[in-house]
Amino acid sequence: MALVEIRDVRKTFGKIEVLKGVSLDVEEGEIVTIIGRSGSGKSTLLRCINALESVDSGEIRVEGQKVHAKMPDLKKFRQRVGIVFQAFNLFPHLKVERNITLAPLLTGRVEKAKARVLAEDVLTRVGLADKIDAWPEQLSGGQQQRVAIARCLAMAPHLMLFDEVTSALDPELVGEVLKVMEAMAEQGMTMILVTHEMGFARNVADRIVFMHQGRVWEQGPPAKLFANPGTPELKSFIASAK
Amino acid sequence: MRSFSLIDFVSLFAALRWTVALVVLALLLGAPLALGLALGRISRFAGLRWAMAALIQVIQSVPLLGLLFFFYFGMPVFLGVQVPALIAVTVAYTLYTAAFLGEIWRGGLEAVKQAQWEASACLGLSAWQQFRHIIAPQALRLSLPPTVGFLVQLIKGTSLASILGFVELARAGQVVSAATFQPLLTYALVAAIYFALCLPLTLWSRSLEARLDGSR
Repeated sequence: MALVEIRDVRKTFGKIEVLKGVSLDVEEGEIVTIIGRSGSGKSTLLRCINALESVDSGEIRVEGQKVHAKMPDLKKFRQRVGIVFQAFNLFPHLKVERNITLAPLLTGRVEKAKARVLAEDVLTRVGLADKIDAWPEQLSGGQQQRVAIARCLAMAPHLMLFDEVTSALDPELVGEVLKVMEAMAEQGMTMILVTHEMGFARNVADRIVFMHQGRVWEQGPPAKLFANPGTPELKSFIASAK
Repeated sequence: MRSFSLIDFVSLFAALRWTVALVVLALLLGAPLALGLALGRISRFAGLRWAMAALIQVIQSVPLLGLLFFFYFGMPVFLGVQVPALIAVTVAYTLYTAAFLGEIWRGGLEAVKQAQWEASACLGLSAWQQFRHIIAPQALRLSLPPTVGFLVQLIKGTSLASILGFVELARAGQVVSAATFQPLLTYALVAAIYFALCLPLTLWSRSLEARLDGSR
């Protein structure tokens, strides 16, 4: 059984059908990168996976559990599925440590006495152990995004979703975030990414999923897909992304 | 007629207690209501949003004097009960405070980015935990200056209670002025006391604004 099973998912916003029957499986430990033009439904699909959006038809299962916005143990489910956003969304009124430890403390994942150690641990994993007492606004965009990743890691998620996490960063800051993600990939984290970083998609992903007009247009291992795109749409997308 | 003496000073300051008491009562009772109204205004239930908005609209549209008259003179007519002045005045100021603070806080809550709710929900926090730990502290910061501004309005607004014969600062001024025939001196003194009460708040509000605006 795949960790994530997506079956014929459809989603409409107003009159626009954003997802037109998407099916996709993601195995445990797999790193899947979703690419495609703006408006192809990538981000919506990602948001459906952790029930930030509910699907109109079809179904999504994570670890066998059907996902929807009114699922009974939504909070427990969200603790197992981390998501990192394009805009970081750190809590500006809390220091880095509290940003990280708030949710583990409130959900009973860690005791008060061990919270700081947990924060130190996950910050070390993103290379920011020295920023534990900083305010979010004192950090660069890249650092903020790494704290956001650390905040997710503190919940020990089984699956991580990344929604264009480098798109809001200055070019010179993209690398540090990608490096953290590469390290996570090496440690066997199951990851689904929406990204415009073709280099990262090519080097780190196990599988590329190309979405076009609300459908999975084409998918496969990066080497094959980038060398031999099977559809003219992917071909032109790769050409334009270079 | 007698000259302005120490006793007049004392009676003014004694009446000041009632001004302060009215403000404290209005805040104590009005603030929780205001929070309820603010939460109702951002609720996902349209009916509740609509009802709260209507209630706030009505209270805000009636002059404070009208509210006071309604509860003091109106209640005996409509309900056949004579409400003690203190209760009538307290109810009026409480509703007034609830409506205005409610709108101020609603604005503060809505000014916190929607993504903050989303980000905290995605960490597995309950709706209450999201509000309590993520949204409310940020909204409070944004709302503090206008909240203090309203507090100043409220302090000065308590002078209207004098019309119902309630002996707070302004009414005591009337009494002293009538007894001493020194209205200029008396009302100057009354004004000075209001000023002394409001100025620290205004200054505090301004320093808060400076501190909360932008970086720490």
